[in-house]
Amino acid sequence: MSTGENVAEAVEIEQLSRTYQRKRDEQPRLALDHVELRIQSGEVHGLLGPNGAGKTTLCKILSTVLLPTSGTVRVAGHDVVTETDAVRRLIGIAFGGERGLYTRLTARQNLMYWSALYRQSSREARTRVGSLLHRVGLADRADERVETFSRGMKQRLHLARALVGDPRVLILDEPTVGMDPVAARDFRVLVGELRTEGRTILITTHDMAEAEAVCDRVSLIDGGRLVATEDPRTIGRWLSAYERITAEVVGSDLADRLQQLPGVAAVRTEGPGRVIVETDAEGACAEVLRVLVGAGVTSISTGRPTLEDVYLKVVGDRGLVVR
Amino acid sequence: MRLFWASARFQALKLRHSLDDLMVLVTLPLFTIAFMAIVTEAGRFDLAPYAVVGTGIMAIWSIALFVSGEIIDSERWNGTLDATVAAPASLATIVLGRIAVVTLISLFGLAESAFAAWAVFGVWVQVHHVGVFLLTLACTFFAMVGTAMIMSGFFVLARSAVQFQNSMSYPFYVLGGVFVPVAVLPGWLQPVSKVVFLSWAADLLRDCLQPAPVTQVLLRLGIILLLGAVAMAIGYVLIRRVLHRVRHQGTVSFT
Ligand SMILES: Nc1ncnc2c1ncn2[C@@H]1O[C@H](COP(=O)(O)OP(=O)(O)O)[C@@H](O)[C@H]1O
Ligand SMILES: [Mg+2]
Repeated sequence: MSTGENVAEAVEIEQLSRTYQRKRDEQPRLALDHVELRIQSGEVHGLLGPNGAGKTTLCKILSTVLLPTSGTVRVAGHDVVTETDAVRRLIGIAFGGERGLYTRLTARQNLMYWSALYRQSSREARTRVGSLLHRVGLADRADERVETFSRGMKQRLHLARALVGDPRVLILDEPTVGMDPVAARDFRVLVGELRTEGRTILITTHDMAEAEAVCDRVSLIDGGRLVATEDPRTIGRWLSAYERITAEVVGSDLADRLQQLPGVAAVRTEGPGRVIVETDAEGACAEVLRVLVGAGVTSISTGRPTLEDVYLKVVGDRGLVVR
Repeated sequence: MRLFWASARFQALKLRHSLDDLMVLVTLPLFTIAFMAIVTEAGRFDLAPYAVVGTGIMAIWSIALFVSGEIIDSERWNGTLDATVAAPASLATIVLGRIAVVTLISLFGLAESAFAAWAVFGVWVQVHHVGVFLLTLACTFFAMVGTAMIMSGFFVLARSAVQFQNSMSYPFYVLGGVFVPVAVLPGWLQPVSKVVFLSWAADLLRDCLQPAPVTQVLLRLGIILLLGAVAMAIGYVLIRRVLHRVRHQGTVSFT
């Protein structure tokens, strides 16, 4: 692209906050807290965060289904509050999960209906729906009722539905929940294709591996705050540095020794003789294992930390930097 | 227009696969038979149009309440409301197209009632004024669609929709002069029933089934249309309220 060309940002989010209030006398709950995010046109952006982080809220605001409490959001330069129609023509959205389809109708009937909502003529719709069904691998089940579909097939139909309007910006809220590994791999291939076509994609997930596999950049969100936006490999490195080792039976002497090892962040005792060791540097895990094995401990398991652990670390690190 | 027809088509497909929505049309003959039994027992065959029109309209209204009235609500339960709102299409037009199909099908209730009366009791209610009858049907269709628009918005916005839904059947059969003409209702109820389009529709339909000339046809049809148009306008406003609430609260609340 030439430097003179004015490349509009696909998504611009400035100081976006959103509160929910269920009842008048209830305390408003902050679901998004001054979120700042810019997504370049053609970028695949991951929004990674645990349940309740605010991912769906952000997707809804981007897709004009929900209004911001404060701040501004633009999609390809169009404001989601004042220019809803322009935004709606540009976006496609898939909310994850089993719901959101007309299960008594066939896959094709579902898509044909949605294509009318995207102002396509019926001839246009027929060809488009046919090719979409093919694309998501549902061509040979196209005329079967959706209620007979597996969860993964429903997810693929969701995706096809989101693509019906030929969107420039695609918003996928937890698109792979419930997909089997094969379907998830196909999904990654499809996202790659869509990216090649120049579409901008926002994917929310709580699966780090998925984010790493398909995204150009990943934003971590937790408690409504955008914690960091990074290259997915950076986040991958954080994950490999943070590991968790559970071992039994470990005496208090040994626990103290583990605590002294470099790269060991915490040693917690859980019940009699059961300890959980957390590391925060690459290579520390191997050292902990050597010490444990050397001391004759045989019941050992290691695991990747949960995303929540990583957020905690990242938030914590940031906190130190700031102060 | 394409959106309207696509929504109508969609509703037709949906109904085909969920016939339980049209259960009313299955039980309808039983009601007709019950009323016709009274008519024949009393030897008052002149009242057969009351039984036929009454039970037919009951089916039309009941289908409006429980099928048309639930269109937006069912989108909410189905998890499709958000994606519908996010599409560049008017929710009101979608609802309108879908209600139109439901209402059209419900009109068959009248024919079904007439058929039941004939099949079981051999009483054939004859349409003496075919032209007026068809015009009345068309106007009734329009007014029922408009009124169902109100229902579909109202049942989502109202706090305890289900209670409203149930209590909106029999009172309206009375106010709408569905089984007995409004003229025999207590005087204080009569002004209220004048704004219920059913009362005008039921009277006109019954008049068409009797040999005597139908009077003030245009005025009465005009009133049905007017009430239908007012209902449709209110329906549009309510559907906009629904959208407003979805976008402000993040949900059309379940409280
Ligand atoms: N309609 C709503 N009314 C009240 N609170 C809500 C509503 N939707 C979401 N929330 C709250 O907002 C927060 C963020 O939710 P959500 O955006 O769904 O998170 P995520 O998609 O990351 O799991 C949660 O605390 C959730 O309980
Ligand atoms: Mg969510």
